[in-house]
Amino acid sequence: MKTQLPTKYFLPILVLIPGMASASPVAEFFYGLFNDMYFWLFLLVAFLLLLAYNAVRMAFNTIERAMRPQAATDEETAEAEVEEEESFFSRWYDKLAGLKPMEKEQDILLDHEYDGIRELDNSLPPWWLYGFYITIIFAVFYMFYYHIGSGKSSVEEYKTEMAEAEKAREAYMAKMDNLVDETNVTLVEDAGRLANGEKIYLQNCAQCHAKDGGGGIGPNLTDDYWIHGNSIEDVFKIIKYGVISKGMQSWKDQINPKNMQDVASYVLSLQGTTPVKPKDPEGEKM
Amino acid sequence: MEMQKFSYNNTIVRNFLFAGLIFGLVGMLVGLLVALQLIFPGLSFDLSILGYGRIRALHTNAVIFAFVGNAMFAGIYYSLQRLLKTRLASDFLTNFHFWGWQLIIVAAVITLPLGYTSSKEYAELEWPIDIAIALVWVAFGVNMFWTILRRRERHLYVAIWFYIATFVTVAVLHIVNNIEIPVHFMKSYSAYSGVKDALVQWWYGHNAVAFFLTTPILGLMYYFLPKAANRPIYSYKLSIIHFWALIFIYIWAGPHHLLYTALPDWAQSLGVVFSIMLIFPSWGGMLNGLLTLRGAWDKVKESAVLKFFVVAVTAYGMATFEGPMLSLKNVNAIAHYTDWIPAHVHIGTLGWNGFLIFGMTYWLIPRMYRTKLYSEKLANTHFWIGTLGIVFWALPMYVSGFTQSLMWKQFNPDGTLMYSNFLETVTQLMPMYALRAIGGALYIIGLGFMAVNLIRTIAGGSFEAEESAEAPALAPKYTKHKGEHWHRWIERRPTQLMIGSIIVILIGGIVEIVPTMMVDSNIPKIESVKPYTALELEGRDIYIREGCNACHTQMVRPFRSETVRYGEYSKAGEFVYDFPFLWGSKRTGPDLHRVGGKYPHSWHYQHMWEPTYTSDGSIMPRYPWLFNHDGKVNELNTKYTRKKLEVMRGLGVPYTDTEIENAVSDLMAQAQEIADELNADPDITVSPNEEIIAMIAYLQRLGTDIKVKTEVAQK
Repeated sequence: MKTQLPTKYFLPILVLIPGMASASPVAEFFYGLFNDMYFWLFLLVAFLLLLAYNAVRMAFNTIERAMRPQAATDEETAEAEVEEEESFFSRWYDKLAGLKPMEKEQDILLDHEYDGIRELDNSLPPWWLYGFYITIIFAVFYMFYYHIGSGKSSVEEYKTEMAEAEKAREAYMAKMDNLVDETNVTLVEDAGRLANGEKIYLQNCAQCHAKDGGGGIGPNLTDDYWIHGNSIEDVFKIIKYGVISKGMQSWKDQINPKNMQDVASYVLSLQGTTPVKPKDPEGEKM
Repeated sequence: MEMQKFSYNNTIVRNFLFAGLIFGLVGMLVGLLVALQLIFPGLSFDLSILGYGRIRALHTNAVIFAFVGNAMFAGIYYSLQRLLKTRLASDFLTNFHFWGWQLIIVAAVITLPLGYTSSKEYAELEWPIDIAIALVWVAFGVNMFWTILRRRERHLYVAIWFYIATFVTVAVLHIVNNIEIPVHFMKSYSAYSGVKDALVQWWYGHNAVAFFLTTPILGLMYYFLPKAANRPIYSYKLSIIHFWALIFIYIWAGPHHLLYTALPDWAQSLGVVFSIMLIFPSWGGMLNGLLTLRGAWDKVKESAVLKFFVVAVTAYGMATFEGPMLSLKNVNAIAHYTDWIPAHVHIGTLGWNGFLIFGMTYWLIPRMYRTKLYSEKLANTHFWIGTLGIVFWALPMYVSGFTQSLMWKQFNPDGTLMYSNFLETVTQLMPMYALRAIGGALYIIGLGFMAVNLIRTIAGGSFEAEESAEAPALAPKYTKHKGEHWHRWIERRPTQLMIGSIIVILIGGIVEIVPTMMVDSNIPKIESVKPYTALELEGRDIYIREGCNACHTQMVRPFRSETVRYGEYSKAGEFVYDFPFLWGSKRTGPDLHRVGGKYPHSWHYQHMWEPTYTSDGSIMPRYPWLFNHDGKVNELNTKYTRKKLEVMRGLGVPYTDTEIENAVSDLMAQAQEIADELNADPDITVSPNEEIIAMIAYLQRLGTDIKVKTEVAQK
């Protein structure tokens, strides 16, 4: 029967897709996702997909049989059955699904009845029962691994994550000319970098200092009055460490040094512009 | 044997069913409104009673307890009478149950928009309504059990096992989770704090899904599906094992809502493994439903009822596979707090609950009205448009959930967050939210088709209020069949069945909750954590009233992406004075546990007045009713402040006599300080009595107690 054909390719595809994924750049994401549980999860998911596949296949076969014109049904079914008997997969599948032929249904009809509802005495589908056992075994292993064995607690996992990230960051920073700090920062005048500074400013700073730097919750950045100094080093330092007591937060974990340099330069470039709604001057005239 | 004549009460079935459908429509419309508010925050119209946090709770309560609740009572009362061949035992209890339940719903519709809430999800209603729920629920249980005792059928069918388990478990869950100490008629504090409260709440919340939205609906499936398909149940053995396994395992799985939180690891792990073990017991129900349709698939093509059932059971199968997968810690790390979770939930509610109820309704109404359905075609249209609605609801939210999570976790190689401004991860989702609202609207349109169809059907029929029936009385003595299944023993002993269910469902809860309550090492003490001041406590109650926890979590998980964004991860000991806990379950907005001290007071002031002022593109609604504005005077109510501190002390918060004595004057002093600081800003004029001051006081306190500790240590 022709419609059966695609099912033969289904199983290889099931194995191939994750296989291919793990050989591609996507793998990085998946390894991060599964880390040491990867193997376990893969087994479990593959198994469950197989079960789902069985259920779907079963449903489709039944629907297909039901939807076929009546005259053709008997003949084709007979044909299909012959074919199915020949297929190893089909035999294996029927056994796993534990399906009794419909014709033998009378033999397993239980003798009780509730408001016309009868019940069959079908045995538990083997795949269902074994699936259940496997989850129980998984549960035992899981508890053992995490609470007696070497599994990491949430906090240990976190510490490892932080340590690894810090190492990776240091390695990256060593490679980059990113090591700008308040001692060596210089004013940037390159248009591209100022545009970058503006972008960062709008995302992070505008909420308190207004889009045009006129101030609001935070002070006006366009006038000549400064609370903490107007040199590039001063502005860089304020961005980096914040002035917690006055509500300016520290941005060093959110904006990298080079970007802080850009945004500090952008802020100084606002000097002398005319905002829509300037806030009254604060600090000293410089 | 002599036949006894009696009748079935159809009136109560009709009443519950109509109440369910009408409240269902209302509840879904409220759902659509909250969905639209996420795209157009102005749809709260600056009215407190339409605040997102308040009416989201109205939506969830309405669809769970009013829609599914009423419809499930209709289905239970219809099937119970017929499966037991007897009329409902007490007309008084039946009517008390109906009117009591509707009154509770009306009370919810009034109190939730007014901001009377305990803040615990799906248990938001305040204590007087909680007591009413307990009474009405017990009336339902007594009525059901009394009916069972008067049965003319020796054995209880599997549907009734599920009904019994539903009754006992919901009673236990509701009572334990709602133990609260009243402050006044519409205000109370949970008896548990922080980690303990979270555990009890999610033991309840998870099992409200299990025993309010699952077990009774499985019972309905076991009656209505074989009736509609005219096929025998596939496997009696499967019914037995999946019933007992399901109710035993389900109760343990609650902690999977709290993975990577401050809940002790051992409890989290139990939540994980029991969720995994839940797959096959859940699928047992799906299999018994789908395989019962073996040999009836040709009917599915024709019958809208069966189509609804097939999709319902399939949605159940999908949701109960997805749930355990979401319970694996590494999947949960991605999905939790994102839109993935509402997508998962709505597969269950729209697909499983909604579609099963629609199928049942299309089957029941023509029978009770002794006529044929007005239009099978219209019912089929309802089916297709409803299915489309589910797809449009869920798919965008899966995409949205993934997008959100990946953006939250994305780092630049220099160790800074790629999307350090939370708002970027919100504005990104707007198209998905719009598609979701369309999905919801389609689902509601389907409901409109059903209304037309039912009204025309009813117009063409005549209602049979009392359906006459006859059956022989139960023989006083029962002789066992030869070779009968061992489980038949308990099926003819309802009391033993009920006691058995209680024992089975209590085990998981006891093993998880009792040690968390009793063993101190589960919640390591932090010396620097101090009780809230009177003003902060009042602010916290405003936070609860407005339902801020609907969109903001207060739980920084131990992930690099969270500690860099928010600050130090949350510790169990920080929540010991949080009655109730406010960890939340969804991050539509950013986490707030470390927001204290992050911004100046004026930032919060401006932000609550007009969120887009500080955060361009924010979808948070405005909260003008916390301010004096447009001639309307807003004043913090301090009438109960002292009482609140006293109740807290009763719960174990170490307030001193002086603190309680001077509660109001201390509150005013702190409010004055904050107001002075705010008034220093030329843009702001605020009086210390305004509620916004208390709110700011609370927000500025959040998560700061352990910062104090580190500062002191540095000195």
